[in-house]
Amino acid sequence: MAALDQKSPNVLLQSLCCRITGKSEAEVAHQFQYAVRVIGSNYAPTIERDEFLVSEKIKKELMKQRREADAVRFSELHRKLQTQGVLKQKWSILYLLLSLCEDPRKPSSRVGSYGALFAQPLPRDAHSTPFYCARPQSLPLSYPERGVAQNNTSMGTSGISSLGVYTLNGPSPTPQSLLVGHAPSDAMRGSRLAWALPVSASPPGGAAAAPTSRGPTGPLAPAGRVTPRHRREGDGSAEIGEVALVRDILYVFQGIDGKFIKMCSPENCYKIDTKVPLCKSLRDISSRLAELGWLHNKVRKYTDSRSLDRAFGLVGQSFCASLHQELKEYYRLLSVLHSQLQVEDDQGVNLGVDSTLTLRRLLVWTYDPKLRLKTLAALVDFCQGRKGGELASAVHAYGKTGDPNMRALVQHILGLVSHPILNFLYRWIYDGELEDTYHEFFVASDPTVKTDRLWHDKYSLRKSMIPSFITMDQARKVLLIGKSINFLHQVCHDRTSPGKILPASKAADSPKDAAELFTDLEGAFQSKIDAAYFETSKYLLDVLNKNYLLLEHLQAMRRYLLLGQGDFIRHLMDLLKPELARPATTLYQHNLTGILETAVRATNAQFDSPEILKRLDVRLLEVSPGDTGWDVFSLDYHVEGPIATVFTRECMSHYLRVFNFLWRAKRMEYILTDIWKGQMCNAKLLKSMPELSGELHQCHILASEMVHFIHQMQYYITFEVLECSWDELWNKVQQARDLDHIIAAHDVFLDTVIARCLLDTNNRSLLNQLRAIFDQIIEFQTTQDSLYRSALEELQLRLQFEERKRQRQQEGTWGVTAEEEAAENKRIQEFQDFHAKMRSELRILSYSYQGIVQQFLVLLMTSSDESLQFLSFRLDFNEHYKARDPRLRNSLGATRGRRSSNI
Amino acid sequence: MSTTAFNLAPLTTMNYMNKNLHRHCEQHCLLLEISRLLNTGLDMESLSICVRLCEQGINPEALSSVIKELRKASDNLKATENSTN
Repeated sequence: MAALDQKSPNVLLQSLCCRITGKSEAEVAHQFQYAVRVIGSNYAPTIERDEFLVSEKIKKELMKQRREADAVRFSELHRKLQTQGVLKQKWSILYLLLSLCEDPRKPSSRVGSYGALFAQPLPRDAHSTPFYCARPQSLPLSYPERGVAQNNTSMGTSGISSLGVYTLNGPSPTPQSLLVGHAPSDAMRGSRLAWALPVSASPPGGAAAAPTSRGPTGPLAPAGRVTPRHRREGDGSAEIGEVALVRDILYVFQGIDGKFIKMCSPENCYKIDTKVPLCKSLRDISSRLAELGWLHNKVRKYTDSRSLDRAFGLVGQSFCASLHQELKEYYRLLSVLHSQLQVEDDQGVNLGVDSTLTLRRLLVWTYDPKLRLKTLAALVDFCQGRKGGELASAVHAYGKTGDPNMRALVQHILGLVSHPILNFLYRWIYDGELEDTYHEFFVASDPTVKTDRLWHDKYSLRKSMIPSFITMDQARKVLLIGKSINFLHQVCHDRTSPGKILPASKAADSPKDAAELFTDLEGAFQSKIDAAYFETSKYLLDVLNKNYLLLEHLQAMRRYLLLGQGDFIRHLMDLLKPELARPATTLYQHNLTGILETAVRATNAQFDSPEILKRLDVRLLEVSPGDTGWDVFSLDYHVEGPIATVFTRECMSHYLRVFNFLWRAKRMEYILTDIWKGQMCNAKLLKSMPELSGELHQCHILASEMVHFIHQMQYYITFEVLECSWDELWNKVQQARDLDHIIAAHDVFLDTVIARCLLDTNNRSLLNQLRAIFDQIIEFQTTQDSLYRSALEELQLRLQFEERKRQRQQEGTWGVTAEEEAAENKRIQEFQDFHAKMRSELRILSYSYQGIVQQFLVLLMTSSDESLQFLSFRLDFNEHYKARDPRLRNSLGATRGRRSSNI
Repeated sequence: MSTTAFNLAPLTTMNYMNKNLHRHCEQHCLLLEISRLLNTGLDMESLSICVRLCEQGINPEALSSVIKELRKASDNLKATENSTN
């Protein structure tokens, strides 16, 4: 039992064939082949696998036949069968029985009607397809499953059923109308076909089978009548007739080996059997005609191998489809030829020489198809291993030919091939969706990128996939459009439907449109992309400006981080001064934040929108030992959400660096003001100490030197760096057409500011020099402070001394005692010692300061940036430093000399 | 080889019938009865082959069309033989 059940279906089928026909196994070989093919190709059933449904159907069928008693009997039997439960596929068996059911009252339809037709093909087929007689047992039953293409109206293979559909809907009914005289039903013809077609010629793809199987329909119908004559020609005469050769050639056209002309596999070409006696001209023409078969095979092989390859992608699939379309046209021609041949056969050869099918005629008629097939074969060769946009580029390259026919052909294929690309493109630019499973489109998306970097990193262009008919500029625009839409959706959470952004119609473009669009690149396509680009970018900028206040934030950066809001900064510095003078480790963020808020409330900054003010914050940089508050303090501006795309992390770090620099320069100004204040306040008081006038004078000179320097520096920073770049940025932002423009302008702005503020790597030495100058200023402040302090102290003591003297004199005693005077002199002596020390300190300070400034000037002179050179002129406008430093004299003299000679 | 396969066919069916358990036999009878009710024209042996094919998961649609075709083919052959004779 077990052994029996495990018997292969083939063996069972064979015994079934024998049993039903009542013939021996050898005799039923063809029927067996047929059975194997039908079953193998209909592997998946089209009906529902429901036992109940099938049994209900059977009951209905019995009722229809008015056999109620039998219906009752059946349901009883069925119930019993269900209780048995040995069979697993009861529905299947029941269905089989149902479909074999016949109404006993009608006469049996088994015998008769088809008899004559059915009998004929068998002997001929046996002879024309010798392949079948091979090993019946070894034939595979396991065809790939393909439920889609199946059509259960006709009983044959899917190839046959789709043939039925095809002939019904087919564009050219020519062969059918020619066949009409004795054409049986489609299904009947199909069954004969299934006998006739070799396995190798029926590809596994359901749709692909249709055109192939269509070809032989013509000659097969009269085959029975033709064969005898054929045979006579082949066997009897020494030379084969042209008719036989034509028939052979028609098979070769479809890639099927003929009787005489066969595929020669080692050389990969069609050859006429050398043993066949044939005159040279016919042999020659046949060889030329056989090329068509070879070309056909080549194209066919490509489409067959590719159409099942899922990873080949949509573009590849549509390329295959377009090739199929061309092949279909070719098959139509073949079927016309076949029907022509058949008409000749029907009417005998005595029709007259004019209308017979000769090899030469074939040569003429197939001239154009051959050119087309040649182009297709070349295309197939060229497109090998390409996919997606690359494939479209390859096809497009073939469109650049002078032959109008070929160009039309390639344009047509290009239209089909570019259709999926165009679909991707429209989905992308109108909906922002990227459904590119096979990586065929030229926009690539990186799913690992988070939304905060969406604009910068998520989407990129896949250069190799840009079809050659789309320019780089267009591709970039396309990328930008979709990116903008995605940015709006994901980052701005803007749920406006894309239709609202784009009033332009987004009609689904048919392939024809696609072809037109790509041929007319300057016109419609360009304007479509431009319109989408313009609208989307404009909408995005509007959203950013209105809802997210991009421009306001930009201005806020300028005002707060780049110290544009002068009163606020000054006030903040006033308030912070005592805090920041302390060591950095004793600073607390919350204290500073409080001070910041006070400063905001006290100045014009309070009129800014709260949206901006709430983002303003204090930040303490990393503390290194010995830092004071001045070194670590920094303002900060919080950015998040959509505007963080413009103000990226790098941008913010740039801003912070610039802020630190400006803050330091500002502090120098502040210190110098303090110095000047001290000088002015103390000048009168210290007039009574003439011995100090020398030092004070020195202090004044040094201070005014420093003031001059810092003023010029501030002027440079404010007007030549910040205002100029800001104006440029503002103009660009106003004119910007998309977000990328703004980002680029902003980056340029920051880069310029960084470079001009000497913060980039090229100006490292200049910046160090400048820092040293700043340090000198701070040192000078402390020195002068201590000088004044001691001087004032001394003054105080002297005044006290004088006062005491006067008091005693009024009391009538001696003003001073000897020891008091000695003490006073000693103190004055000490003061003067200290004083001398201060004087030398000041001298050293002023000397080193001037040295650093000179060094700075030298560096400025040698700098390549023109604005820095101008700064050096401004700093040394009266050639004070030039007179002191020979290095400056040379370089300054050289440039000035050149300038004056120019004037 | 082919002839032995041919001869084996009825033999295996007999083995099948003989060795079968009571249940299998009964089931067979039930199916045969249904087949007769529906007038399918299958004899016991063909039916048993069909049952086994169906059990192996073959599409019954295809199988029925094959059987119909086979019948037509054999009828036609007989008819032609008759006419030639």
